[in-house]
Amino acid sequence: MILRLCLFSMLLGAGAAFAHHSAPVFYKVEERITVSGTVTEFRFSNPHAILKFDVVAADGEKQQWTAETTSPSILRRRGWSQASFEPGDKVKLEGMPSQDGSYLMRITRAFREDGTEIGIPAGTNN
Amino acid sequence: MRLKAVCALAACAAGVTGAASLHAQSPQGHGIAGFWSMAPGPTPPRRAATPVEAELIKQLREGAVLLADAGATEFPPGDYGGLNVKASLREAAKSYDPENQTDVSLTCRPPGVIYSMQGPFPIEIFEGRDLVVIKLEYFDLVRIVFMNETEHPDDWPHSQTGHSIGRWDGETLVVDTAKLSPGTLFNNGVDYTENVHLLERFRVADANTLIVTQQFEDSGSFEGTASRIMSFRRGDDHVYPYDCDPTYGLAIESRQRPDKE
Repeated sequence: MILRLCLFSMLLGAGAAFAHHSAPVFYKVEERITVSGTVTEFRFSNPHAILKFDVVAADGEKQQWTAETTSPSILRRRGWSQASFEPGDKVKLEGMPSQDGSYLMRITRAFREDGTEIGIPAGTNN
Repeated sequence: MRLKAVCALAACAAGVTGAASLHAQSPQGHGIAGFWSMAPGPTPPRRAATPVEAELIKQLREGAVLLADAGATEFPPGDYGGLNVKASLREAAKSYDPENQTDVSLTCRPPGVIYSMQGPFPIEIFEGRDLVVIKLEYFDLVRIVFMNETEHPDDWPHSQTGHSIGRWDGETLVVDTAKLSPGTLFNNGVDYTENVHLLERFRVADANTLIVTQQFEDSGSFEGTASRIMSFRRGDDHVYPYDCDPTYGLAIESRQRPDKE
């Protein structure tokens, strides 16, 4: 379910690392969406981790979403690991929407069902 | 002799030896050894230069274009940061399909060191007498800088790390690199040729700050001189294995699209 769509100003240099696999190709890097769902798969490997999750939209439509992260090398230093998500976990993800309208997003922040943030945001520990 | 020295330092860079002692400076060390992560925030020309940065910028070739894409920032398609890229390459770049970056055959192909050194990933430097080893977290690239050589061998194979020779100019490490394989300039469709020449300066500005400039020229792809400046911050860490997974892109390609009526 897309809870809200909001625009943030772009913080150059402080956001996700999108070096080789260019984020602007797939994502609207200046926009943010928040999506909640249930994790079905999580793969924590470079160049980018992949989180698959199911979403039930307000109209009842079942959607299968794919969420991409920045490099796991960088995320490890922000407290992420392969154990950050397990299938069945309820999550709320903030990130960039896809350019093509597909159920694809680039995660900038992730939260558990109780509101606990997973890891720490970019720039917090550097 | 050179091979032995390379093996010893490369083994250290790969984590074979206890790493903590590797960062200890020898009495003749220049303080450059250690783990360095890119400092958050912009670097010149997107902000004013610090005194050390200004000094290093002055050492760039006169007229060099200082590119504003160091770090996580990337130029969009068609933007070359003020660099006069050859018309034929600009034209060819129009057909560049960046979605290929997620192709299994290309996902784990490392960019060359010019692009990789300015990306937002940490580096780890090991300083020896005859060699300096620079290990990049990005794509597990390892650079060997020969401090005891003064020329690039004619028969050295081209690669994404090339052949590097170094010297100390006071407290500045000057690294000259050639024999680079063609690689991306900006990750937006234009490559430099195998004749590109890279000159870098590494200066420890204070105990926790490393400033790096890169200056590169390649008449086969652009006119004049391009340059970047990067700022790194010392950390108590080591670079992690990158261990790239080429199948990552399959998940992107298989993304679900909304049903259209």
